[in-house]
Amino acid sequence: MTAAIVALGVVVGLLGVLVVGLLRSHADVLRALHDLGIGEDDLAAAGSAEGRRSIGRRTTRTTGEVRMVPGVAAPGDSSSLGRLVDVSGVDPHGGAVHVGIDGSRGMTLLAFLSAGCSTCRDFWRAFGTDEVEQVPGRDTRVVVVTRGPEEESPSEVAALASDRVTTVMSSAAWDDYDVPVSPYFLLIDGSRGVVGEGAGGSWAQVVDLLRKAAADAGLVLDDEGGRPRFTRRDLLVGRDRELRADRELAAAGIEPGSPELYAPLHAVPPGDGPDGEVGAR
Amino acid sequence: MTDVSSHGITARLPRGWDARIAKRPDPAAEPGAPAGPSTQAVPDEGISTRSAPADEPPGLLAGTEHPVAHLANFPLPPVRGDYGSGAVELMRTADIFVALVEFEPEAASTPLFSHRGIPRFGVNDFSPHTMQRTIAGMCGAQAFFNHNGRAFCLYVVLGSHALRAPLVAQVNALLAGLEIEPR
Repeated sequence: MTAAIVALGVVVGLLGVLVVGLLRSHADVLRALHDLGIGEDDLAAAGSAEGRRSIGRRTTRTTGEVRMVPGVAAPGDSSSLGRLVDVSGVDPHGGAVHVGIDGSRGMTLLAFLSAGCSTCRDFWRAFGTDEVEQVPGRDTRVVVVTRGPEEESPSEVAALASDRVTTVMSSAAWDDYDVPVSPYFLLIDGSRGVVGEGAGGSWAQVVDLLRKAAADAGLVLDDEGGRPRFTRRDLLVGRDRELRADRELAAAGIEPGSPELYAPLHAVPPGDGPDGEVGAR
Repeated sequence: MTDVSSHGITARLPRGWDARIAKRPDPAAEPGAPAGPSTQAVPDEGISTRSAPADEPPGLLAGTEHPVAHLANFPLPPVRGDYGSGAVELMRTADIFVALVEFEPEAASTPLFSHRGIPRFGVNDFSPHTMQRTIAGMCGAQAFFNHNGRAFCLYVVLGSHALRAPLVAQVNALLAGLEIEPR
């Protein structure tokens, strides 16, 4: 009897070790998947039925990312998503500037520009005109960040800087957010950190990408009804993204029930077939 | 807490606060400085009085040539008058705006600036009528003082007169961390 109990204890012990080993292995797998940027949503999408397609963009569960446009340098390996650091530096005239971001209300768009960068010219120009008002969100502020006076000419920055936006010279901010190139943009929520990052060839492109990134992150930037800018439900179901998709479809003349919605993705339009001029797309 | 320092003025900022400490270019080159609060209180003894029309638009380059510090617990707009015009209009109930405006050193010995050291405020120091331009629900307070041979006007705006008590405590905590060096 005693031998049986001892044997049973040994078996239970071995099974316990086996279970712990399996749990650790499972945790390692999950950690590896997380490091690769694959979350539960992706796994669910892969396993779900029809109607969901990859958008070819790296996302996290609560944050989005501005896509790159052709001809603009890609960001580095280290993403700033979620990062939340205040920006301190000087203005082009030498005054001290501190932009409180951590804990601030509303959204902040940090525009990392350089006086000598040719791609940045459109942004310097746009920030000096009413175009800067196109930034998504009623209370989104635009802050231009150049490198510090030790790396940029304050007089050149002063000549380009507009009084429509705050301009701060701070090399530390570039380091804090691991900014790889200029121009580069970070959309930051005062409570959640960076929710979108990337670059664009023009201000109009960046505005469009920011709207999409914010919507994908569940942020309602242009809400007029006094509702919170984002809700838990927005974050969970991406309601704003759905509304945006509906708006864009409606603008293209595609309404619910339109035949285009049921056409095969690679259908050959009438007249574009082998007998037509254009051919299949 | 974050320290921001320039022109001999150092402010210790709580989380989420904005700050600008700047010395503006010569106002003679850019006339039309925005009006300050109760400018008639400033003696006309060779001291800047900032007596531009009240409807003068705030300008980044307008105002005193002496250092001006703006501290706020809300995002400061890029263009502001010395006493916060352009910024206070954006304030909400729990918002605080603090302007520290320096005057000529000679003013430090005048009666108006006779208070020594950085002042503190009480709840009763704030009044809706102390605002540069009255905004419903808001209130302001101002004090003139000298410190280390320098003359300053301290002007504070609160987003809510009714709920000012906790805001005054925040203001005094901020002022406790303020340091002003001799010129």
